[in-house]
Amino acid sequence: MSEFALPDVGEGLTEAEILTWRVAVGDVVAVNDVIVDIETAKSVVELPTPYAGVVSAILVDEGQTVPVGTPIIAIGAEEGASDDSTSAGGPATDREPTLVGYGPRTTAARRRRKIPPDLGTVVPLHGEDGGVRRILAKPPVRKLAKVLGINLADVHPSGPFVTRADVEAFAAARSQTGVTVPADMFLPATNPDVRVPVKGVRKAMAESMSTSAFTAPHATEWITLDVSRTVDLAERLRVDPSFEGIRVTPTVIVAKAVCLAMRHAPTLNASWLDVSDAGDHIGEILLHGSVNLGIAVATERGLIVPNIPAAEKLSMVELAQAVDRLTSIAREGRIQPAETTGGTFTITNVGVFGVDGGTPILNVGESGILAVGAIQRRPWVMPDDSLAARWVTTLALSFDHRIADGAEAARFLTDVADILRDPATALTY
Amino acid sequence: MTNDMSLSKALNAGLRAAMAADETVVLMGEDIGRLGGVFRVTDGLQGEFGAYRVMDTPLAESGIVGMAIGLAHAGFRPVVEIQFDGFVYPAYDQIVTQLARHFARSGGGLQVPVVIRIPYGGGIGAVEHHSESPEAQFVMTPGLKVVTPATPQDGYWMIQQAIAADDPVIFMEPKRRYWQTGEVDVDASPPSLWSSVVRREGTDATLIAYGPTVTTCLEAAEAAEADELDLEVIDLRTLSPLDLAPVYASVRRTGHAVVVHEAARTLGLGAEIATRITQECFYSMEAPVQRVTGYDTPYPPSRAEDEYLPGIDRILDTVEALLSDEWVTESPSGAGRWGRVG
Amino acid sequence: MGDARAHPGGAPVQRCVQLLTPDGDRIDDPEFAYDGDQEAIAQLFRQMVLIRRIDTEGFALQRHGELGLWPPLLGQEAAQVGSTAALGPDDVVYPTYREAGVAWLMGVDLADLIGQWRCSTLGSWDMRRHRFGPLSIVIGAHPLHATGYALGLKLREEEGVVLTHFGDGASSQGDVMEALEFGALDQVPVVFFCQNNQYAISLPATRQSAVPIVQRASGFGMPGVQVDGNDVLAVQAVTAAAIDRARAGGGPTLIEALTYRMGPHTTSDDPTRYRDDAEVESWRARDPIDRVRKLLQRLGTPSTFFADVDAEAETLGAHVREVCSALPEPDLAAWFDHVYAEQTDELRAQRGEYVAWRSQYGGVA
Repeated sequence: MSEFALPDVGEGLTEAEILTWRVAVGDVVAVNDVIVDIETAKSVVELPTPYAGVVSAILVDEGQTVPVGTPIIAIGAEEGASDDSTSAGGPATDREPTLVGYGPRTTAARRRRKIPPDLGTVVPLHGEDGGVRRILAKPPVRKLAKVLGINLADVHPSGPFVTRADVEAFAAARSQTGVTVPADMFLPATNPDVRVPVKGVRKAMAESMSTSAFTAPHATEWITLDVSRTVDLAERLRVDPSFEGIRVTPTVIVAKAVCLAMRHAPTLNASWLDVSDAGDHIGEILLHGSVNLGIAVATERGLIVPNIPAAEKLSMVELAQAVDRLTSIAREGRIQPAETTGGTFTITNVGVFGVDGGTPILNVGESGILAVGAIQRRPWVMPDDSLAARWVTTLALSFDHRIADGAEAARFLTDVADILRDPATALTY
Repeated sequence: MTNDMSLSKALNAGLRAAMAADETVVLMGEDIGRLGGVFRVTDGLQGEFGAYRVMDTPLAESGIVGMAIGLAHAGFRPVVEIQFDGFVYPAYDQIVTQLARHFARSGGGLQVPVVIRIPYGGGIGAVEHHSESPEAQFVMTPGLKVVTPATPQDGYWMIQQAIAADDPVIFMEPKRRYWQTGEVDVDASPPSLWSSVVRREGTDATLIAYGPTVTTCLEAAEAAEADELDLEVIDLRTLSPLDLAPVYASVRRTGHAVVVHEAARTLGLGAEIATRITQECFYSMEAPVQRVTGYDTPYPPSRAEDEYLPGIDRILDTVEALLSDEWVTESPSGAGRWGRVG
Repeated sequence: MGDARAHPGGAPVQRCVQLLTPDGDRIDDPEFAYDGDQEAIAQLFRQMVLIRRIDTEGFALQRHGELGLWPPLLGQEAAQVGSTAALGPDDVVYPTYREAGVAWLMGVDLADLIGQWRCSTLGSWDMRRHRFGPLSIVIGAHPLHATGYALGLKLREEEGVVLTHFGDGASSQGDVMEALEFGALDQVPVVFFCQNNQYAISLPATRQSAVPIVQRASGFGMPGVQVDGNDVLAVQAVTAAAIDRARAGGGPTLIEALTYRMGPHTTSDDPTRYRDDAEVESWRARDPIDRVRKLLQRLGTPSTFFADVDAEAETLGAHVREVCSALPEPDLAAWFDHVYAEQTDELRAQRGEYVAWRSQYGGVA
């Protein structure tokens, strides 16, 4: 005897109402005779029987709604079934019997529906193993950490395990301070205070920053400008055969602009000399003959500023090479101490940290430092008053107000900005 | 010229072509001659090539394989049919201690180019011993080669290539797919017998299958589209030797791998493949390699086989668990893997 | 009578034991006799009719999609009934997969038997209780088990004898020959009952063995008897003699019962591909039930007896259908519990994993 279960007629049914039975107990049915009308969410559907035989039981009454898969009718084999191998009838299943069994089932490429979960019984999937905090991270993340020289135990995970983003954030934060900040420092204030000794690079940085900040009166001027053409130019130079093998970034073009603008702003490329003898002057300004252009580089051990001697004499290719070389070897920790002395002006790219600008502190002995902020897409008012999305950045120039005044600084800054806004301006120098 | 034909007919055509091309090819097996084979794979061949090239043998698997080995020594290329996977075991001794070793022990002097065709796998609602997946036992036997076609096109070409190969080849035929049709191009230049192929390209995860589960994985990939999952499906085709280069390339892109086979989990081919993927692609792996397989029990009564065999639901549930990192668990029983208990 | 089988090698067999001709006439044999009375013969008739009906129902149930397959015993009723009638109360049977009749006669629950062909179970009856072994699907694996069991009986000095069935095809398997050897060497109380139904799927028996199967007996060191397998009286007689011999410590006998597989190998086989109707019809004329009916009618059995047997067969047929329809679906989870006597942690975990997975879908699809 066979039971016929309410099928899913393909509309994504989960249930149907039995409307009208077309057969009764005792009726003889042949395969594909219509036996019942059902109502789905969309329409009334006739169901044919896959079985031949005699209806032995109606299992669901008219008017009842039942889920898909509920047996709705039972049909038994007719009396006196013969052993004739050609007997007609039999369930219209999709299986072709084989010598040894029912035969293969043809499957539809569909998933079964899941019953909605009872969220009350969901068991959390992650836990700690006996109180020992194990560091979980996927292999690609472990590899990244290893390459960056980061101990995964120091990284604060944002979820159940340390992610790539966690490691990258840690790397960025660490490069700023030059010190490995213990992960404990991110825990809530219920933890005890932590004392970190100041040594090495951090000590040198603290000392020089203090000297500079408390010796030279700092002022900072800003300008926000459209540098789309500079970005364009950097891209073109990148693929130019003369620059093959050299990393050309907007910083290179900023460096060139600084060197050019410096011709009209010698006080931005100067040093204050204290004079000890009495008299009617308290000091001297040393105007440097060359622009020994310092490029601030964030490294694992902290911030260092190697410089390019006589940068104003270099061609664009040579300048690009020099910037590229400095940034690479600085990151690898191979800068010689001599390369960090004798600088006369510094460019610091704070944009790589994602900030728009800052108030940079002068490198000791210099009278100017230019901070370049993040170059981002922003809406900009064009000459014809239309709005467009342009590459925009903010330059911040800090200067020693003993040596230069606001007007000189502004002229230098706007000269640099003019070149970056329209690199063709460089031709006028 | 292409024809639409079933796997069974494609194998039949391939055998016919091999026998026509080389008169040293002889077929041996139970009911393969007059009956044409219980799956009709050798249908009509005895009529065409005669009773001494298509031999109906007594009911004795060990005898059949042993006789084939002797025929091979004498310069023939025997193609043996074992009627069902579950019946290969009487011949296991002849296969493992003799067929696999004659070439090695003779220092290369004695070749045994025997092909043993075995219909395997479940999903046909069969009685006991007719739904087995013993392929791993042959893969782990050095000296044997093992291949398995998943499509009629592959059936047509791979049987000819296996017969032409000088090594003993265990030719596993997925019996639930015998009736599945597909295009067969009889003029094609087929790929190497010892190569795997990407059947469907995808980006989210790599499904690795062979024989009967290739179709299952393709169906799963089709069903997965509704859930916006894009799955790559690789058909291994050759199990010994394994060709995993396409698998490695795939896993390096997707970061997620699932091996799908009907054979039981422990020491099935999934174990070997998972290890090799882990060794070759470790730094690309976003999750451990998972296996969707039969459970570690004897094959169940076939009315309960649908949930024993890897199906669309179990495959896709495993893929989703991998992609959502639900595999990260400290739970020892593993029951927590599906996010609910009881 | 004596069917001289034409084989490629060996001398023709001396004689094929027969006590009842296809026309229903009693004849004598120099060595064997059937000593049952008319009532006993009527019982044999009834049993053959009933097991034929079980067979018919099983075949039809497969046609209805209720069973995965059914291996018909049609034509072999005398071999099954006659051999079983010779068993003593302590004797044990190891069957092939075709002995549904023997199973029923020995009290195996129809639900257990039908459940196996429905592919819901793999054979779950209590072998000790019914003295009937599991159905053997791997051909020829079980005569060794039968011989081992018989050795056990001998070691424990028990009275029982083991009778093992196997076919003409199985006789080619090495395992069967090893059983014959073990049995003969140790004079084990086992009877080897070969039903030669002339075909192993499509292979005729003449292509299975170069000599009549019974001739192997002397090669292994035991007496061999060839019998008309469609003659229930002769089958019972030769089997009883073999069992007595084994019980008395005389060791095994090889019986070759010549019969015919009137139906296909199983429900999806097509015998028209390898045998012709004329052959089938010639064996229909030697039907095991017809000849006994003729004998009983000649002996004056009233027609009410035959009507009663037919009615009983109808009831049994309906019962078979009922049993089938009441069979429960198998639970895969339970399958994990009987892999080992002592379940492993690993399997327990896998079971839990499976149950947890399927519970997302509200149980089995």
